[in-house]
Amino acid sequence: MPKILGKGLKGFAIFAVLGWSLAPIVLILISSFKPDRDIFAAPPRLLFEPTFDHYVALWTRWGDFFAGLVNSLIITTGATILAVVTSAMAGYAYSRYRHTVMSSSAFFLIFIRLIPPIVITLPLFPVVNILRINDTHILMIVLYATFFVSLGTLIMRTFIDQIPKELDEAAHIDGASHWQILRRIILPLSAQGMIAVSVFVIVFAWNEFLFAFIFTTTRAKTAPLVLSEMFGAVEGVEWGVLFAASTLQLLPVLIFVVLAQKHLVAGLTAGATKG
Amino acid sequence: MASVSIENVTKKFGELEVIKGISVPIADGEFVILIGPSGCGKSTLLRMIAGLEEISGGTVAIDGKMVNNVPAKERDIAMVFQSYALYPHMTVRDNMAFSLLLRKARKAEIEAAVTKAAETLGLTELLDRLPRQLSGGQRQRVAMGRAIVRDPKVFLFDEPLSNLDAKLRVQMRTEIKALHQRLRATTVYVTHDQIEAMTMADKIVVMKDGHIEQVGTPLELYDNPANLFVAQFIGSPAMNILPARSSSQGVSVVDDLWHSVPELHHLPTNKPVTIGIRPEHFALADEGIPATIEVVEPTGAETILSARIESHPVTVLIRDRADVRPGDEIFLTPDWTRVHAFDPATGNRL
Repeated sequence: MPKILGKGLKGFAIFAVLGWSLAPIVLILISSFKPDRDIFAAPPRLLFEPTFDHYVALWTRWGDFFAGLVNSLIITTGATILAVVTSAMAGYAYSRYRHTVMSSSAFFLIFIRLIPPIVITLPLFPVVNILRINDTHILMIVLYATFFVSLGTLIMRTFIDQIPKELDEAAHIDGASHWQILRRIILPLSAQGMIAVSVFVIVFAWNEFLFAFIFTTTRAKTAPLVLSEMFGAVEGVEWGVLFAASTLQLLPVLIFVVLAQKHLVAGLTAGATKG
Repeated sequence: MASVSIENVTKKFGELEVIKGISVPIADGEFVILIGPSGCGKSTLLRMIAGLEEISGGTVAIDGKMVNNVPAKERDIAMVFQSYALYPHMTVRDNMAFSLLLRKARKAEIEAAVTKAAETLGLTELLDRLPRQLSGGQRQRVAMGRAIVRDPKVFLFDEPLSNLDAKLRVQMRTEIKALHQRLRATTVYVTHDQIEAMTMADKIVVMKDGHIEQVGTPLELYDNPANLFVAQFIGSPAMNILPARSSSQGVSVVDDLWHSVPELHHLPTNKPVTIGIRPEHFALADEGIPATIEVVEPTGAETILSARIESHPVTVLIRDRADVRPGDEIFLTPDWTRVHAFDPATGNRL
């Protein structure tokens, strides 16, 4: 009897957690296909005639949103490549070279992760203005990549630590330079780590709001900003269109995270156990 | 191929000196084995020749050219690691071709070199496999293939057989020796296994605590060990060591158990000495030194007896079958012409 009770409680807990996390996503997804009158119907209507009207309206009236998606795509891709490459190189250096300066800077890497983003953002604003890079893709790419290089470096170091140093030595004796060792030996063997880092950066850069709100206005405006504009539109919130836009914003990263889930777990637990 | 010259080489890790002024000349085509217990500095010395460790003092020269400050990749050496260090994401072919690829060799040249090395080592069928799909012995061969494909000046081996099982180790030992006889490549090989050293080397360098105890051919070391350490380190089972005292007539061993051994009359008189007798230089006899058998280990070809002469443990190796059992009283006669004597204070040969 206690065994059945335990199982029942466990099942209920899983169901509760799933419900808690999935309910908003399901609500957004379903509501984007509901006619306006059914979206907030009480009691909620589970049977309805699906419509693409909201997606059509989004396409015709909120062209800004699709421009935002393109900006998000450019910035996310750029930030991911920059962060992964930088983290891999830094991770290699931290893994292979031991020095007091390296140890202190490793501590600094952890330390800067603890500072709230807004603390970094405010002093950055005048600097960005002086450099005249406000509202550019490159600024957002560098910002997002920089924000994740510290964590990315720690993840990559943990992965590279697991690659025997003898492989570097064998390659060195074979005639490889440090750069060739990194490119031909270390990077292929730490691909899982790079995927894990890229998952973090993609999820962050795709969804990030604060930096985008402060540093972009038109040219580099990302999709989350347009979503917020839709929410605060003067003519009132078009919930159906907003849900359609949210679905489009949500889907790519959801699919990516599901596909890369295995690597994400590996990235979080790298070095936790031997083998 | 090339000669290697190690002159007065030292290595310090902070204040700790692990190599204390070592000099070893290695001739072109010679197979030299560095042997010693763990922590004696043999692997560090090998890594210094390879360029993987900085040299704190002295010089290392390859082919007459000092290489102290030459990076490993420019020394034209090949190294086989204890763990093989095969690139796990590359096939056997790519592992073997890697150094030539970095050297920007032509494709046809790489293919020819890899094919030839694979044929030499019996790897032709395995060229498209990944290291994880190979057995320990096959991986070991790939590691050797990766070394020979480059035709380097010097081959370095760092305990390459330690990870293999006993049977495979014997087989690979023979293969490495055969390969050396065919290629006549200058080779420096590190091991802690004295059987490997005895069977493979042209020259053995016995090391302890960062310095050299003795350098010589395997049989020189076996027949004329310079000190007690070498005497006990080389040879299996190890040499028996017994206390003795010299007199004008020779020596008396184990509290006067054996008197006046005339073969040892050259020793300084009236001094304590340490006597060394190899296990195979004892014979069973009807009369002689009484001993009690404790363990009998028949191996088929020979029998190893662990016995005790009074309180002193001795090992006896009999080539014939011996009809003896634990607890039996036996009589031993040593071959006095092959007995070694050492100074108990310094351990040096007398």
